[in-house]
Amino acid sequence: MRIHVTVNGSEHDVETEANMTLLDFLRDGLRLTGTKECCAVGECGACTVLVDGRAVNSCLMLTAESDGGEVTTIEGLAAGGKLSVLQDAFLASGAVQCGFCIPGQVVAAHHLLARNPHPTLDEVKEGLSGNLCRCGGYMQICAAVVAAGRANR
Amino acid sequence: MITEPIGAAVRRGGGVARVTGDQQFIADIRLDRMLHVKLVHIDCGHARIVSIDTSAAQAARGVVGVFTAADLPSPMPRFGPVYSDRPILAIGATKYHGQPVGAVVAETKEAAEAAAELIRVEHEVLPGVYSIEAALDPKSPLVQEPDLRPDDPRRDTNVLNELHFGWGDVDHAKADIVVDNVYEFPMVTHFAIEPHAFIAAPEDDGVVVWTPTQNPFQMQRIIAQVLGLPVAKVRVRAPDPGGAFGGKQHPKYEPLVALLALRTGRPVRLLLTLEETFQEVRRTSCRIRARTGFQSDGTISFQDIESDFLMGAYADIAERVIAKSNYLACGPYRVPAARVVVRALFSHTTPSTAFRGFGTPQVSWAHESQLDDAAWRSGIDRVEIRLRNLARKGEPFVPGDTPADGDWAESVRKAADAIGWGTPLAKGRGRGLAVAVKASATTGASYSIVRLHWDGSATVLAGTSDMGQGARTVLAQVAAHELGIPVEWVSVVMGDTAAVPFDLQTSASRSTVFMGQAVADACHDIKAQLEQMASELGLEAGVSLVEVLRARFGEVRGEVIGVGSKRSEHLADHPLGGAPSFYEFSCSASEVEVDEGTGDILLVRHVTVADVGKALNPQHVAMQDEGAAVMGLGHTLMEHIVLDDAGRIRNLGALDYRIPTTKDLPLEMHSMTVENADGPGPYGSKGAGEGGLMATAPAVASAVTEATGVVIRDLPLTPERVWTEIQRSRGKDGPTS
Amino acid sequence: MVPFAFARPATLSETFAVLDEHGDEASLLAGGTDLVIELRNRSRRPKVVIDLKRVAELRPGISERGGWLTITATTAMTDVQENALVQMWFPALVDAAATVGSVQIRNRATLAGNMCHASPAADTAPPLLVYGAVVNVASARGARRVKLDEFLVGPRQTVLQRGEVVTSIDLPIATERRAATFVRITRRRGVDLATVSLCCLVDASGSTRFAYGAVGPRPFLVADETGALSDPSADDESKSTVLRALLEQASPISDVRGSREYREAMLLVMSRRALLSSIERLGAA
Repeated sequence: MRIHVTVNGSEHDVETEANMTLLDFLRDGLRLTGTKECCAVGECGACTVLVDGRAVNSCLMLTAESDGGEVTTIEGLAAGGKLSVLQDAFLASGAVQCGFCIPGQVVAAHHLLARNPHPTLDEVKEGLSGNLCRCGGYMQICAAVVAAGRANR
Repeated sequence: MITEPIGAAVRRGGGVARVTGDQQFIADIRLDRMLHVKLVHIDCGHARIVSIDTSAAQAARGVVGVFTAADLPSPMPRFGPVYSDRPILAIGATKYHGQPVGAVVAETKEAAEAAAELIRVEHEVLPGVYSIEAALDPKSPLVQEPDLRPDDPRRDTNVLNELHFGWGDVDHAKADIVVDNVYEFPMVTHFAIEPHAFIAAPEDDGVVVWTPTQNPFQMQRIIAQVLGLPVAKVRVRAPDPGGAFGGKQHPKYEPLVALLALRTGRPVRLLLTLEETFQEVRRTSCRIRARTGFQSDGTISFQDIESDFLMGAYADIAERVIAKSNYLACGPYRVPAARVVVRALFSHTTPSTAFRGFGTPQVSWAHESQLDDAAWRSGIDRVEIRLRNLARKGEPFVPGDTPADGDWAESVRKAADAIGWGTPLAKGRGRGLAVAVKASATTGASYSIVRLHWDGSATVLAGTSDMGQGARTVLAQVAAHELGIPVEWVSVVMGDTAAVPFDLQTSASRSTVFMGQAVADACHDIKAQLEQMASELGLEAGVSLVEVLRARFGEVRGEVIGVGSKRSEHLADHPLGGAPSFYEFSCSASEVEVDEGTGDILLVRHVTVADVGKALNPQHVAMQDEGAAVMGLGHTLMEHIVLDDAGRIRNLGALDYRIPTTKDLPLEMHSMTVENADGPGPYGSKGAGEGGLMATAPAVASAVTEATGVVIRDLPLTPERVWTEIQRSRGKDGPTS
Repeated sequence: MVPFAFARPATLSETFAVLDEHGDEASLLAGGTDLVIELRNRSRRPKVVIDLKRVAELRPGISERGGWLTITATTAMTDVQENALVQMWFPALVDAAATVGSVQIRNRATLAGNMCHASPAADTAPPLLVYGAVVNVASARGARRVKLDEFLVGPRQTVLQRGEVVTSIDLPIATERRAATFVRITRRRGVDLATVSLCCLVDASGSTRFAYGAVGPRPFLVADETGALSDPSADDESKSTVLRALLEQASPISDVRGSREYREAMLLVMSRRALLSSIERLGAA
């Protein structure tokens, strides 16, 4: 089926199979491989993207559902090749270890900050509880998001 | 003015690509004409394969080939890091849940998946060995074919080996208190967020294999062995793994994909699902019976330990895990007499392998809980009993071996202070403290080449894998410090056997010590060459490095190549084949609040102290140590693989195998270091990164005991288990009463 | 995923037409957080997937009319959680919705989908049951209203017949003072499926309602109309006797999330806690 979707500001008018997830469309179709696949059941958050401004697990969405919508992936967050305040905070806080979960963490945190610009530590823990990090870097990840929130003031 | 990189929180090398999504993991690599592989499984543990009908799959759209044991070389090549026992695909029977019986190769991943479903595997479910009891029962089926070890007197049992360590006279040791308990540690899985992934492609007259391995050179050796190729014709490319934790240390499906690439003449890719990854790697589970004698003042008089460690269907590196951890089964203590007997058992389960801590979390669960038991019984403070028995720096605690190489009591005091040991506790709360020690790398070899470019920047070539621990950053810091250039001028190239020199492996927290020294050595080589150049050119002493390079190389340009190495040779008469080059010592302390109505444990505070000698990058040390603690809280509180009667993993996948989330963090968590520059690595450093999980379980369990009066000797400490034990002990005297 | 056709009806009548054509071979898609998993693991193999999100009559919305609050079929959990009317009148539903998966899940998953999926552990079922939710069902043959307690039949089973669609869930707005508490037992603090979940509602008339999840083939509702439970002066032992009688309907099983014994014990422990909390809240209201 034919769909029209805007991804990171670029419009795509493409033919897609109904049984293709948004995750596969982004990774295989558009070669936006920053969005990762891990659990494929909506538990790990590695595939988090924004659809119409909301953080979702792209493994649990069919591409067809995004028709007419706007999708933002990790590749869309560093405007003009410059790291966002949030991305920089991840590096400054030592929140990045192996890095596989990080795109999902950053997108989920971006969504959190968009709705709650200055979150408390507990609000960050709640907001990111759907993003697993097996390196266990949660202390630093949460600190990075709180710091980015402070920098936004 | 150049900022001194050693001891600074230098930002992660490769960090920017990790926050922008540009970091390329295996699954992000796409090659032209690449084929896709889907493995074929049957849904049980041990089963005889009666027949495999691949005809429908062969005929399916997009299928290039279907491979079963019958299509592979005969005899089937077998491989493994120590024993060559694992076949490329199951032959005749499956020996664990998820062992592949076939592989479909197709033009697309969808076609491969659809065709795999069409394969009919007629099979007969056989009785299996799924527990320690079954493995020890002489009536149980044999997991391994006896002809794989024809000369081994144990070939007709499920015991691969029985190891004995010890010293002194345990039977005549005098003790005022003897505590005798049994501890269990369940199967847990690595759950790296990057599921295992492999690509292979024919290259010239050899093969190139992409795999997120911690061990590119062992991989190269084993693939070469399986394919009968010279090492130089096998290129292993190992992009930074998306988490490994030991699970990506040894070959799994690399020999298969290499073979499929050669058979099809095209690049092939196999991406495991998370479920399939769970079926490939796990920690070795165990049961430890410890009988420990103490004098009335709490001094240990003997340790008498007998354990069974349950490996999986193939040995992988499990026997080494068992040997190395049990070598230190008595912990970091002065023990006058010790007897350690441990059996390595086969079972029809996921092959257990290296996993952060390498057996230490299992043995510390027992030796630490034993100290607590003695402390409860004798009324001695739990910190005090540890301080009384800890080996002092320079004291050999395993007779004849590397002596204690740190002020371990300092770590304990630091952790006790941080947790508020001895201060009043709120109702329902308790504190615990535990230590653990791990023998680091014994033998090993690391080589490095450092290229100092004509402009004064440098490229470090190192065979280390950066799987999140930050080796890329730390090696750059070492090179920058040694060459006196900004750390931003250093690039580190890793993960390609065709580009970097040999390294034994990235394991045992060895890279900072071994590769760190090799890089420093290579830099010294460069500096010697520069001095020679300066003197030949008649330059004054103290002239800058860039000026020497400019004067020497001029418009033609060039570079100075430094070569460095660090080796530790095999010692045939050492029980481990070599003495530990350092010890990784760690102390964890925890304060918990237990809800006695539900058994729920709230972690109020958790601290870790790591004796790292010198933190080359304190931020990296903190993230590793705290990360390890979070992982340790996983196996302490919630993680365990649950098998059914047919050896099936019942909680396969992320829905029912629980690992900690942000909300499972302790309310407060701190990591600290002890830095006495007493390690063998650069600037007095020791390895780090495993310690934080080695003593988590006994620390938390001890806190739970103080809070509830209940002693628990099985993991994990799920609410249900805690509640059940509280119910069971109700009416009885708890150890704190 | 096996290949399937994708239908995006714009109206309910178009939806009925597709449903009537494909019957059991059609799967309805709202948030997709359960369906897409089943499609991917091939346990569900529909010929056609019908996306309800473009059906005009089902657009996301929460509205009040005639003493009822109506939540349409495509309203996401996040919107339920954040809605001021839900927060004011049905706070226990907000608490339960907040435990459904992660932020990412709640941004897609719908309240109606949570009921249609009919998991015995569906977190929003206990509050919906104690609040007296009614499910609005429509088909080409007309519309009907089904009490949620009757709607849920068993694991993954509802009363929905061939050709029927849930259009919305109605919640009666109470006129009397009441207070409800949602609690659950899980294996970790972050996102988890419930081992036991329950909601307790007490009202000013002395009636107490409990609904339970994950302890039987379907979430179920029980009530004490004697006033024994809500009486602040009644002793714990007499309350426990009443609770035990109410809990006879529970039939928990042992699975990887917990044993039958633990679930049974937690039913009583958590029921007592929720009751106490609801009584306190009622007093404070």
